[in-house]
Amino acid sequence: MRRAARIAGALALRVGVGGVLVVAGALKLRAPGELATQIANYQLLPAAAPYLAAVLPAIELVVGLAVMVAPRPWRSGAALAALVLFGLFEGAVTAAYLRGINIDCGCFGGGGGPITWVTILRNLLLMAAAGTVLWLERPREIRAVAPPAVP
Amino acid sequence: MVAVVARAACLLGVGTALGLVVNAARGDGVSLTAFAAPSACPAAPAPVAASAGDGAVAAVEVLAPTAAADLCRDPRAVVVDVRPPAAFAEGHVAGALHLPCAAPGGAARAAVELLGGRNTLIVYGQDTGEALPVAEELRRRAGRPDLRIVVIEGGFPRWSAASLACSSGPCPECGVPHE
Repeated sequence: MRRAARIAGALALRVGVGGVLVVAGALKLRAPGELATQIANYQLLPAAAPYLAAVLPAIELVVGLAVMVAPRPWRSGAALAALVLFGLFEGAVTAAYLRGINIDCGCFGGGGGPITWVTILRNLLLMAAAGTVLWLERPREIRAVAPPAVP
Repeated sequence: MVAVVARAACLLGVGTALGLVVNAARGDGVSLTAFAAPSACPAAPAPVAASAGDGAVAAVEVLAPTAAADLCRDPRAVVVDVRPPAAFAEGHVAGALHLPCAAPGGAARAAVELLGGRNTLIVYGQDTGEALPVAEELRRRAGRPDLRIVVIEGGFPRWSAASLACSSGPCPECGVPHE
């Protein structure tokens, strides 16, 4: 029973983390030019904005799908990649918030709304969820089981 | 753990390659070399403003607050404040639209659209230097030889010191959210 609950919880977390990435990637795919503008508005790496706009939606889609449906050995790698992505997003939105830059988040394509402490908290929760998936899907050591003693 | 990192790097690499291929294949893909962020504040330093136009498109003028206030009375003039939201909310030129440097690109586009039917654009910041790049960018975006673009000399402090019309509070119609 406890094992079933753990499996269901892990599956829910994977669907949650992967689903957020897939939805975000799909929405960003619609208007790459607008996404490049939103990235440039962060004023962190404006020269890299078009490159990030070109690759970020596909990266989110690939990583999100892998978190949800990839075979187990790949799920831990996907969870680590998701953690890295959410960590980068968290750094960007926190930097914009602390510098008082009044911009659209761009988290889910256009119309994501301004960056507030809620955006920062939401990214922190996603990082925690991705970290939990990584821990649950970590490679397990194969333990040598001693044969039962022959009487 | 090395295998996990390698798989994560592999997924990120696949995503990157896929993204570049899709972007190159689609017609509305972002240009990797010719992309120019449509920000209200260009990264490059603003050109030196001249007081009179000498080309097809008029240059940006710098006028004293009292002279700019005379222009404000024309209903075909639009005033733009480029200072941060807190400074704008504290006090601004009456009727000014808010277009801070960090505004989304959509706000800059909206400002250009607002110029339709107007013949004068008045821009100000905390000082002259803050407003000049925005004025130059809007001049470039509007591309209208008949549009007179003016920067208020000395910015809002000099306008305020001259006891000219001010108002306070956010600007809900500007599309720039205020906390």
